[in-house]
Amino acid sequence: MESRVLKPILAVYVVLFILFLYGPFFILGILSFQQGPEGGPQFPIIEWSTYWYRHIFGLVPPSRIAPLPLGQSLFRSLTLAFMTMVTSTVLGVMSAQAFRKKFKGSGFVFYLIVLGMMVPGVLTGLGTSLLANNFIGIERHWWSTAFVTHVVYTFPFAFLVMLAILNRFDGSVEEASWSLGVSPWRTFRKVTFPLIFPGVLSAMLFAFTLSYDEFSRTLFASGRDQTLPLAIYGTFSVEIHPNVFAFGVLTTVFSFALLSVYAILMSLSVRRARKIAMQEDIT
Amino acid sequence: MSAAETAPRTTRSNTWWLIAPGVIWMLLFLVAPILLIVYVSFWTQTTFKIEPTLTLTSWKNFFGSDTYISSLFTTLRIWMIVLVTTFTIGYPTALFVGLFVRNKTLSTVLLVICVIPFWTSFLIRVLAWRPMLGKEGAINILLQKAGIISQPIEALLFTELSVIIGMTQIYVVFMVGPIAFMLGRIDPNIIEAARDLGAGFWRIFAKIIFPLSLPGVVVGAIFVSVMVLGEFATSAALSGRKVNLLGNIIVTQVGSLKWALASVTGVILTIVMGLVIAGFLRIVDLKREL
Repeated sequence: MESRVLKPILAVYVVLFILFLYGPFFILGILSFQQGPEGGPQFPIIEWSTYWYRHIFGLVPPSRIAPLPLGQSLFRSLTLAFMTMVTSTVLGVMSAQAFRKKFKGSGFVFYLIVLGMMVPGVLTGLGTSLLANNFIGIERHWWSTAFVTHVVYTFPFAFLVMLAILNRFDGSVEEASWSLGVSPWRTFRKVTFPLIFPGVLSAMLFAFTLSYDEFSRTLFASGRDQTLPLAIYGTFSVEIHPNVFAFGVLTTVFSFALLSVYAILMSLSVRRARKIAMQEDIT
Repeated sequence: MSAAETAPRTTRSNTWWLIAPGVIWMLLFLVAPILLIVYVSFWTQTTFKIEPTLTLTSWKNFFGSDTYISSLFTTLRIWMIVLVTTFTIGYPTALFVGLFVRNKTLSTVLLVICVIPFWTSFLIRVLAWRPMLGKEGAINILLQKAGIISQPIEALLFTELSVIIGMTQIYVVFMVGPIAFMLGRIDPNIIEAARDLGAGFWRIFAKIIFPLSLPGVVVGAIFVSVMVLGEFATSAALSGRKVNLLGNIIVTQVGSLKWALASVTGVILTIVMGLVIAGFLRIVDLKREL
């Protein structure tokens, strides 16, 4: 049979494919341990050192290579990602909740929301800058104009995640709560929300990471103060040094830490749900 | 009970209250800005300002300049090449993950491995290609050590090729995901039946597997197209400013406060994107297939 020949070939191919995806990272990781400050961002490694990591944290004597402007921009990026996360998750839960009932114009609203993730950042960024600069006449800031464009981008993801969760949601528990005379808001808080919480966590994770890494929208809409991706972009035009690579390794580690926190929260909430279900079985 | 009588009315008004904030947000910050781009593209540009006197000057400037026209064609060319490379490189992977691996855990693990790179900043991922492709980069060193080449290949970095390699690596996963998803939904009994009737693998592939995976290909192609057409960072980082896409033109024009010309470029980009997506949706009726 041909697929018996084909399967190993494809397996080898997939290994090569993964190498293609990861190759640049390995090189980046290796070169981040280049000797400093003379060592450049290329082979050969003159001497292994952690110079560039110390350079990021300002632990080395000043040299001709300026440190990356990280402190402030990291703070801005995290704040912006947090604001975006909260806003787009709230909007996403509300809109998805509305979609559980058929309503007039639901097709239009669906496409209007999904459009936000389809339109490239260059266009929304440009449009929002025009709106702020030439029509309203306000200055652009990361916490105002950049924030609204970020939500335009992340809200559709939160909406789709919540829609998928609520589609599988068993509405009879809510009806039971309503028929017992519990108010809709209290029902949402005490019954619906705990049940959809894993979905809410995923929506938050999506929104946070997308906003944290968002670059093209921010480039246009954020004005003077840089966020983290803009600080990295700033290094593109000038000569790059291994400190950018060291920083790349650190952000990857940070992302994994974030992912682990998410995984822990997720498994905790699943375990709690299971415990509640078991208690219900007993009583 | 009165609650049952009032229920339909309250749920309808509830629906509107729930949907209103999201709709208003999108109308104000997505639809209005895009309409503004169209409007501003007809404004009059002076040195540092734009005035709301309607004119076609910026449009004439765009179509009268070789730089801008060629950036339009570069964008289209790079988009088509990256579409082909992501498809040809991604399809076999999707075939393996979606069809050949019948173990659910293993296929999930493989997909997660593909997604992990997205946890690193997009810009760092782009930048990582520089030490890979450079004159003293990893690929040249490996090829020289292996004795395949004697002189380093300089054409690898700061050319159109490096932009294509970079974009392919960054966007190929968006092609793999949807295709693997569609392939995973194929009922193994259909393939079994075709095999029992004596069809060889390639015949089964051409008649059953590929047509059934086509919606995934279209979704992947839409993802890749939308992202590549709106790109400017990869070309800025890997081409040494030699490759200018429409996105790069917009960035440069905004940087020098030429809002009107940036808007013209934006409108052209929107039109191109609309045509591309509409074209893909004609191939496959997604609503029916998904």
